[in-house]
Amino acid sequence: MTKYIHPLPQTHWLSRLRRAISHGDLPWKWIIIAASVLVMVLILAVGEMLWRESADARSTFGFGFLTPTLTPDWDPVNDEFQAWPFIYGTLLTSLTAIVLALPISVGIAIFMAELCPPWLRMPLNWLVELLAAIPSVVYGLWGIFVFLPTVVTPVAEGLFETFGTVPGLSVLFTGPVPVSGASRLAAAFILTIMIIPTITAVTRDVLLAIPTSQREAALALGATQWETIWQVLLPYGLSGILGAIILGLGRALGETMAVTMVIGNSIEGSASLLRPGYTMASIIANEFAEAVTKLHTQSLIEIGLVLFVLTLILNMVARFLVWSVARKTPQEARA
Amino acid sequence: MSKITRSFMFVLLALAFVLAACGGNSATPETIVQTQIVEKEVTAQPAMTEEPLPAGSVQINGAGATFPLPIYTEWTYAYSYVDPAVVINYQGIGSGGGKKAIIDGTVDFAGSDSLLKAEEYDAGKDLQMYPMVASAVVVIYNVAYENVPDGTTPAKLVLDRQTLVDIFNGKVNNWTDPAIVELNPDLKDFLPNATITVVHRSDGSGTTEIFTKSLTAFSSDWTAGGASSVEWPVDQAGNGVGGKGNQGVSAAVINTPNSLGYVEISFAKSNGLAFADLINKSGNKVTASAESIASDMATFGPEAFDDKLTATIVDGDGAGDYPIVGYTYLILHTESMTDCVKAGKLLEYVQWTLTDASAAKRAGDLGYAVLPGAVRDAVLAKLGEVTCNGEPVMK
Repeated sequence: MTKYIHPLPQTHWLSRLRRAISHGDLPWKWIIIAASVLVMVLILAVGEMLWRESADARSTFGFGFLTPTLTPDWDPVNDEFQAWPFIYGTLLTSLTAIVLALPISVGIAIFMAELCPPWLRMPLNWLVELLAAIPSVVYGLWGIFVFLPTVVTPVAEGLFETFGTVPGLSVLFTGPVPVSGASRLAAAFILTIMIIPTITAVTRDVLLAIPTSQREAALALGATQWETIWQVLLPYGLSGILGAIILGLGRALGETMAVTMVIGNSIEGSASLLRPGYTMASIIANEFAEAVTKLHTQSLIEIGLVLFVLTLILNMVARFLVWSVARKTPQEARA
Repeated sequence: MSKITRSFMFVLLALAFVLAACGGNSATPETIVQTQIVEKEVTAQPAMTEEPLPAGSVQINGAGATFPLPIYTEWTYAYSYVDPAVVINYQGIGSGGGKKAIIDGTVDFAGSDSLLKAEEYDAGKDLQMYPMVASAVVVIYNVAYENVPDGTTPAKLVLDRQTLVDIFNGKVNNWTDPAIVELNPDLKDFLPNATITVVHRSDGSGTTEIFTKSLTAFSSDWTAGGASSVEWPVDQAGNGVGGKGNQGVSAAVINTPNSLGYVEISFAKSNGLAFADLINKSGNKVTASAESIASDMATFGPEAFDDKLTATIVDGDGAGDYPIVGYTYLILHTESMTDCVKAGKLLEYVQWTLTDASAAKRAGDLGYAVLPGAVRDAVLAKLGEVTCNGEPVMK
């Protein structure tokens, strides 16, 4: 007599588990969730550490630490610290770099995606990627020895002579231009060069991903190539290009080594682009290792916190921009 | 060729490259280095072996200042041939980090250029500082001299203590300032009518601490204080620039006509930078050198030390004293070490660095000045007071 083995009922938990696992869907889902939770936990852990380790500095200086001032205090001997010159330096150099890099990068990307002869495309691609692979300390050294004396100093002199006396603008262009060329302008230029490959590569990919039907339609309606690019392709890829700017901005805000080497590391009150300055990342890199007093260490950590929050805010603003742009272009039109 | 075959061949090719690279590296260069060392060391230390890690070896960890890092690395390396059973590992993480590490007990010794504060002594309970070597800071400059006749080189720049303070305060800011011209009559016709760009260290550093402590001693006009990083008055004045590290400062000075900055003497010497002579407290013109540093240390002598064996030795009043000099220190726990074998080995090493002739020569070659006899004896006596589980470590 053969024994009949009853299969487990469909509702039994074991059979449900087997069903769930056998296709790999459920385990895969949980692995993915764990990975994304890890990112959030990391961000929170970093934020919490920065907040906790800067407690004394926050309670000692309060908001005076962050207020804009033209006579900033950063005095490790007497334990008096204010972060404004560093915040200003970071914002000014990064935003200037974005403004300078954007037209150049988008130009390169348009050339590579739309106009470039096929034989040139590959070498150009390589060169752009090579630019991204150069270590920042090399940019810094090249900046000090070659770029500052040959490019930055003459440009800065020119800017000073042109705008130095224009009312309103003169705040940004007061001199005298330092002989060495080490200035916020130098840092902005170096950052520009460093973020061009990032923005270019993403923008090019965005343009290449636009379906050919869009170009054909525009050309069929009688648009010239310029009109096709300017009125069809760029608006179509706008949200992607904004994403590229976010990536570039992220790199510019956090860049430490190259900026430290060319910005002059001077805490002076001037708001001028042509004067030496300091950034948040450079003051941390410069002084953290030898910060002796507790308040000094904590102030540096608080600057880290400010940089962290600032990066988050700028990213959120950029995300919002992408979102509002994407909302304006209906999905049907983009397919 | 199918896709699979192609990718398989690519993997093979990559593997071959990796193997070739590994094979190439391990063969020749290391062997050469090894033999050279052996030849050099055999004469000095006949008892040395080629195998520096026998069973039962002691690992000693240290961390701290980067100012003495070159000489500590050199000593560590040489000592592995003196006592192969000891492996010393020193990490240059900065004075602040070193002090924190020794207080927390995560290292066996710390290196520091800055002195421990009262609350740090309290936190670390039984900490003691020991001066190891001294070094000087020199003023490097790059002046674009004008109208220099062909075939002649302008004389060396001379500065006195007050003028140096005035320059770093931004008060003297032109090369034709009467104070500079008066000190350099030979350069009177060549000095350019140009702003002095003053380059300082942007990173916190023992070099800055020695330099600013000297400025504090030179004149009451210097109000920024003496520390590893300070608020530079010359930045506020608008002609100051910060460079990262000795390299950053020297690069800025070399590239900026009519600039002036300060670096550690060993760095200036190994890079062939011109540095200024100084008029010291007793009114004599001195050049920074091993002799003038030693003269300054001898002027202060062991009497300058407090009970923690720390001393500020800037601005000596001896005839040949170079004024910008400082000690770099080792920090040890004097009572709470519990591993007596390790404690014994550590103190043997420290003793070796202070007394051995070859250790002194290595320090001298790198531009550091070793302690004069009287100071060294005081340090050795203090080392003798270290105990482990209540027993003296040194016999």
